[in-house]
Amino acid sequence: MSHQLQFLWQNLPDLLIGFPQQRPGGLLLSVGLALISLGLGFFMATLVGSGRASPNRFWRWPAILYIEVFRGLPLILLLFLIHQGLGGRRFGLDLSPYQSALIALTLYTSAYQSEIIRAGLQAVPQQLVDSAKLVGGSTWRVYWQIKLRYTLKTMLPAFTGQAISLFKDTSVVVVLGVSELMTVARTTLGSDIRNAPYWITIYLAVGLLYLSVAVIISSLAKRWEKKRVSHDLIFSLANA
Amino acid sequence: MLNALTPETLTILGQGLWFTLVLTLVTSLLAMVVGVLVGSLRLWGAGWLAWGPTLFIEIFRNIPALVLIIFFAFAFPNAFAAPSRQTLFFDNGFISWLGQVTGLSIPWYGLAAVLGLTLNTAAYIAELFRAGVGTLPREHIDAARSMGASWGTIFRVILVPGGLRAAYPAITSRLIHNMKNTALASIVAVPEFFNSVNRAITQSFMAIEFLTLAAILYLALAVGMALGLRWLKRWLYPRQARRALSL
Repeated sequence: MSHQLQFLWQNLPDLLIGFPQQRPGGLLLSVGLALISLGLGFFMATLVGSGRASPNRFWRWPAILYIEVFRGLPLILLLFLIHQGLGGRRFGLDLSPYQSALIALTLYTSAYQSEIIRAGLQAVPQQLVDSAKLVGGSTWRVYWQIKLRYTLKTMLPAFTGQAISLFKDTSVVVVLGVSELMTVARTTLGSDIRNAPYWITIYLAVGLLYLSVAVIISSLAKRWEKKRVSHDLIFSLANA
Repeated sequence: MLNALTPETLTILGQGLWFTLVLTLVTSLLAMVVGVLVGSLRLWGAGWLAWGPTLFIEIFRNIPALVLIIFFAFAFPNAFAAPSRQTLFFDNGFISWLGQVTGLSIPWYGLAAVLGLTLNTAAYIAELFRAGVGTLPREHIDAARSMGASWGTIFRVILVPGGLRAAYPAITSRLIHNMKNTALASIVAVPEFFNSVNRAITQSFMAIEFLTLAAILYLALAVGMALGLRWLKRWLYPRQARRALSL
């Protein structure tokens, strides 16, 4: 037991922030990858989600295609497609594993976030939109300042769910060998048969690390939601 | 592209596709059963029967499916001493029977994938089922009670069908997600579709072609599953039952 803990203690810094020669890595890189692709994905999603909710079919159909394709593919396949397809010889973009991972994760999460934004846009009360138009808001401003803001506030729980889900999905990036948590765990154990007894400790630790970050995100989100609930949504919008 | 589709690769791909379908079906069914059970326990259990399910849900929902699969496949057997490990996981009657039926060279890895995917999906379904039951009108249960129905009958006739009906769209998308997650089993050498695509690529060096083919087939599977589950819903909940559940 004690040598198990000793092995874990020795490798814990690598699991948390990566191997000394390739930092940031480990859990830090997992969180970083998730954050960056969530941010980039959000920009894509406001575009695609608005298209999906639009009455104009020339905007809606491409959005549907985008969402269905990137939501319907397993992430592991998407990673390979981006890395070997977009980054392969044919296109000659020569993407590094990091870049491929970021692109794939961004496309993947943007499809899910688009659906969230669409659902939110469709749930905006019609009175709110009508009154904004009545006081002279242009279509664009009503969209930007009323509909989208309302959506972001009401859809916060769905967004945190997607954030946790994406954070967990960063584990799949191990297939490209980006030095995030799963890759560090795999490299630490290596193919050395003497490390066989430590597999269970390391993977329990890895599971626990994913679990604790996910639980922290969801409890932070819950606390934030509680704070917001006391404000009346429309009231706060009107006074913003 | 077409000359890469030799009879050999086609057999590999066909077997892989078949494996993905079986894996999806088995894990989905198991996850439904376990999920409804765990969800019910979380709703009505007392003592450790109440917090046990909560722990189950939190653990298996928040650990990535890939970590679960690798843990069960590679790490878990290492918790046992060498001789018992061999008989428990790699060399006993059940395992060799499983190897014969499925054609897997190391059947435990297949079992590990089933275990990981099932637990992950079951945790989600438990939460969805619980939320679904929460939307049922309280009057249904009161009415059934006043007519002398036992809790067992209420559970069987009202809560399970009603809860599943209310959570049906969410469960559908979770099961499709589970189908996509079966591709993760390729990492522990289970010869499902994505694994067979990778083998076809190493034989033909045509990466993009086969990956695109895989993408098309996975999309078709996702669409097919969505349509199939919608059809299943019509069959499970004919109009009369839908009206009775007032949903």
